[in-house]
Amino acid sequence: MKMSKKMSLPKKFLATASAIGALVTGASAQVVVIQNAEIHTASDAGVIEDGDIILLGGEITEIGQGLTVPDGATVIDAAGQILTPGIIAPYSSIGLSEISLDREANDAGPRSGEDFPLSAALNAADAINPSATLIGVNRAGGVTRALSAPEAGDGMFAGQAVVIDLDGDGQIITRPNAAQIVMMGYAGARRTGDTRMGAWATLRDTLDEARIYASNPREYYQRTRDSRFSFSDLEALAPIIAGEQKLFVHVNGAPDITTLIKLKADYGLDVVIVGGSEAWRVAQALATVEIPVILDAFNNLPAQFEDLGATLENAARLHRAGVSIGFYNPPGFGAHNLRALPQLAGNAVANGLPHDAAIEALTINPARMLGIDQRYGSLEVGKGADLVIWDGDPLEVTVRPVTVIIDGKVTSLENRQTKLRDRYDDLRKGDLPHAYRGRR
Amino acid sequence: MKRLGGMIALLLLVSACGGGKETEADTSADEALIEDDVAERADAKTGDDAAATAETEDNGAVRPSLDPFPSSYTRYPSGVTFITDATILTGTGEKIEGGSVLIEDGKIVAVGELGAITAPDGATIYDANGKWVTPGIIDIHSHLGVYPSPSTQSTSDGNEATSPNTAEVWAEHSVWPHDPGFTRALAGGVTTLQILPGSANLFGGRSAILKNVPARTVQGMKFPDAPYGMKMACGENPKRVYNDRGPATRMANFSHYRRAWIEAAAYKKKWEDYWEKVEKGGEDAEKAEAPARDLQKETLAGVLNGDIRVNMHCYRGDEMVQVLDMAKEFGYKITTFHHATEAYKIADILAKEGVCAAVWSDWWGFKLEAYDSIRENAAFVHTQPGGCAIIHSDSDTGIQRLNQEAAKAMSDGKRAGVAVDEAIAIAWITSNPAKAMGIDDVTGTLESGKMADVVIWSGNPFSVYAQSERVYVDGALLYDRRNSALSPRTDFELGQQANDFTGGAGQ
Repeated sequence: MKMSKKMSLPKKFLATASAIGALVTGASAQVVVIQNAEIHTASDAGVIEDGDIILLGGEITEIGQGLTVPDGATVIDAAGQILTPGIIAPYSSIGLSEISLDREANDAGPRSGEDFPLSAALNAADAINPSATLIGVNRAGGVTRALSAPEAGDGMFAGQAVVIDLDGDGQIITRPNAAQIVMMGYAGARRTGDTRMGAWATLRDTLDEARIYASNPREYYQRTRDSRFSFSDLEALAPIIAGEQKLFVHVNGAPDITTLIKLKADYGLDVVIVGGSEAWRVAQALATVEIPVILDAFNNLPAQFEDLGATLENAARLHRAGVSIGFYNPPGFGAHNLRALPQLAGNAVANGLPHDAAIEALTINPARMLGIDQRYGSLEVGKGADLVIWDGDPLEVTVRPVTVIIDGKVTSLENRQTKLRDRYDDLRKGDLPHAYRGRR
Repeated sequence: MKRLGGMIALLLLVSACGGGKETEADTSADEALIEDDVAERADAKTGDDAAATAETEDNGAVRPSLDPFPSSYTRYPSGVTFITDATILTGTGEKIEGGSVLIEDGKIVAVGELGAITAPDGATIYDANGKWVTPGIIDIHSHLGVYPSPSTQSTSDGNEATSPNTAEVWAEHSVWPHDPGFTRALAGGVTTLQILPGSANLFGGRSAILKNVPARTVQGMKFPDAPYGMKMACGENPKRVYNDRGPATRMANFSHYRRAWIEAAAYKKKWEDYWEKVEKGGEDAEKAEAPARDLQKETLAGVLNGDIRVNMHCYRGDEMVQVLDMAKEFGYKITTFHHATEAYKIADILAKEGVCAAVWSDWWGFKLEAYDSIRENAAFVHTQPGGCAIIHSDSDTGIQRLNQEAAKAMSDGKRAGVAVDEAIAIAWITSNPAKAMGIDDVTGTLESGKMADVVIWSGNPFSVYAQSERVYVDGALLYDRRNSALSPRTDFELGQQANDFTGGAGQ
């Protein structure tokens, strides 16, 4: 790594619930009451049949059966419908990449092969686009919050990820610096001499350097350019070695996961696995050290030798062993279809995961992985009001959200795709200009 | 590990309850039958290589074989099967509640309501109460075998990205029949698939239409008598891949296509003139010199003859309509536009021209030409009079749940006011692709006389929870969720410790 221009000292990392709450702006003073829903709380309260919920000031103020409607409240009758916490996507690049293959419209990460000098220092907060069309499209699919993470270039670290909301009001960041991303397994190996040994040695080396830097930055600044890592990369890793920031580790094979478990202990890291196609093979060990796994529930092919154990039962087996799980779209799919996360969960259920565990894997589990569970992820009094009313079982491929509420406000489900649909749903007038067809 | 394996076996047994009952005697009868027929099948596999040889005319002129790598597939052993009391989607737009399907000699003999048909003596009876039955799923766009698992440089055989025109390559020469992906697709109910070359090139090469059966060779998978397809590509991919040497623009894409068609037409005429002379006989015939064979032009001439079906990767509506004009200019037909994310913008034109659109339910935004995708695309294509919608996978995981993809497209279509239900939408992954691939006379629907390519689902296949329980190809049971011995691991996966106890092929 090379030297960066920025030379400020490490800042104290903030991760408290109050800091998150302070970032929530524009919470509505409007009272919303949803009645007669089957409420899946993703909390100890479980499922409340024929339940009501009252939202005030962006928070849930009451939840139960037969609640009294306050004066002036907006009442939504959800009879026959299902209410869940908003879907939280624990891993994506939403807001960083509008068009994956368009260089100008994809800021997700440095192009590989260009020897870009920085890695861990990259921060999604600098480039996140609150106007990305993906936000409206995925909101209409019931996704209310997501991790937006940089994608790695030539370096093994990708940079700092942020948690965002999808309400489209421009105030997008729920939690800055929520996680650092690192590529291990073969993805790491091919960045570090094409050997997994290289990946682990480089990771240890970099963490050691970050420790040295953190212990005495002033002394480190005295080093010559050739004998030091990038200041900004090391500074970005300070909360990682302090165990104060989540380290999301892309890793698949059971042997790599075993090494990761040891590394976590050696360095006191707060680790979340992304990928984990063979995680079920070391499920018990993962449960013991409380490493959660964000997985692709469709992955059942030996795509690489590190995926030989890939199975559709990964989610069910990990859950059974007591590992916290979440879902993410297959690599290469960016963030365009976070709305398909419930389909992944549904397939996991078809392959043995209990339904309530699948709902939790879409809501409260990701909230914990992203460090926002004090405020979001379950339907409980005092929590932020992110919730979705579905016209049936949310895991069903034929079910869609009817209402999406974020921080207590009913959001619009209109988006670029619905507008295109409405423009072309009647072709009888052929090539007439849109205005002449009575369309926009 | 052993305990885990035991638990899975237990789960599988539990999930098999609820109507899918078959006596043990029936199963063993099946097994005996299979053993009996092995010898017979081996016999059948030997003789049929006549098509592979070139034909020689009386005067010594040699007609090149149209089928030099002939299918060696013959149906696998099977007995008489009677599936009864199921909800049946026939693929013809019909839904039969409490219906039965009778399979004999690899063919569907009868489909009808409960009581309308009965089981003959000796039939294996499968009580499918609570279950759904559909035709085998057909994927018109797959790269299994040419981009197999594991995905390494060694196995990357799908894109001959060395020239914008590689009409001369044939996908079957890249297909690895031991791709584990085939077994997973079978578990998703896929009985027939078209393997296409990739989309780097304007002319990508010939497709291979395969039966999804385990075989030692690709010839053993080739769908008997299926017409060849040819892959072409529009837009971004060719101009990105060949940016340095051209085509670098969409206009150059078209000039390259048209130049190739002009040359192919001339080549075709050269051969036609030659054979005309030969057939006339006499002195001209003796002097006639056969033109040199050109594999690239041979395939293109096959398209111009109407023997080979064009499968064209194209996203944008405006581009598809220009391609249709080009096809008219040279007198060939586009069978299907693949991906076609903007098909909904020109759905009326596609329907009028009789061209199918093979689409995803909701993929979008991975490149600019895929930016205008909408989830109602398939339904809007379908709703035009004569519209032909197909849901394709282009994915080794998507192919495992085309039923779910069709369900998503159906449900979004319904919400937009399109009259579509399960009975109609099942055609998007069965009879419509069969039609587009030119095999609808023998498969794609549950109708008497057709190949018995049949899937029994645990429930409504338009539910995320439905799983294929049994898959029959030509009447032979090739996948049974309860019996992993029926669909064993592929060669590659055999003896790999990591996949012990993952529950058998397809899981």
